[in-house]
Amino acid sequence: MSEDQVLLAKVFARVAEDLAFMFTESPDEELDEPAGNAFAKAHMSFHGPFSGTLSVAVPESMCAQIASNVLGLDPGDELFIQQPYDALKELLNVTCGNLLTAMAGEEPVFDLQPPEVTVLDRAGWDAFKDSPGTVPFIVEDEPVLLSLQRG
Amino acid sequence: MAYNILIVDDSETVRAVIAKTLAIAGVQVGELHQAANGQEALAVLKAQWVDLVFTDINMPVMTGVEMINLMQQEDLLKSVPVVVVSTEGSKTRMEDLIQKGVRAYIRKPFTPEVLRDVVDKVLGGQNE
Repeated sequence: MSEDQVLLAKVFARVAEDLAFMFTESPDEELDEPAGNAFAKAHMSFHGPFSGTLSVAVPESMCAQIASNVLGLDPGDELFIQQPYDALKELLNVTCGNLLTAMAGEEPVFDLQPPEVTVLDRAGWDAFKDSPGTVPFIVEDEPVLLSLQRG
Repeated sequence: MAYNILIVDDSETVRAVIAKTLAIAGVQVGELHQAANGQEALAVLKAQWVDLVFTDINMPVMTGVEMINLMQQEDLLKSVPVVVVSTEGSKTRMEDLIQKGVRAYIRKPFTPEVLRDVVDKVLGGQNE
């Protein structure tokens, strides 16, 4: 892994644990094929001393679990959030802010654009997984893909 | 003493998390208002008495910084304490916001203890 990818893995693991009480691990081998055929990919760009795009993709079925965890809901509590991808976007947003500080220190100012979500099918997931720079994770037994693209 | 609080963030999830964290931290909340951007927040501030504002920076329609700048131009609003809750960690940005009248800066992710400490600091520890 590149230096950026190592830092991304470290920051994402910390943010996922602190924000969503979710624990990450790096797969020993290639990721297992996820069960569903729908995936959510959140992406956001940033501009400052350097620019780039940070993306995260998860099986769509995982979005409700992320929202429940971020909100600290107990089992049986009704998920009252109207926007299903909102928590995924926030997970990306917090990861991005913390990653930029880890990469550039506390002095530079970056402008972060609001995250957006694209729904991927299986082919889109596979293409993202195979893109150069994509880092695979396992989060709560689900496959998760992260990517930092500079420029 | 209960405080009227306004939470400004374009994320419904973040607004819910802040509201829940305030409850966990034991902060006594009177009326809890929410807004999805600075423009909505200014409308709330002109219509309701608010003791403390928690706001994000990056939001569509009107950013948190634009909202803070406009609050500083209004006699009735410039004394309302504003706390920025953001993912950004730039000290330069933080110092600039303090210059604009922001009272404190909380970085995400945050704990109930951090939120409680900031409320105590900004509102003078009257939340007993």
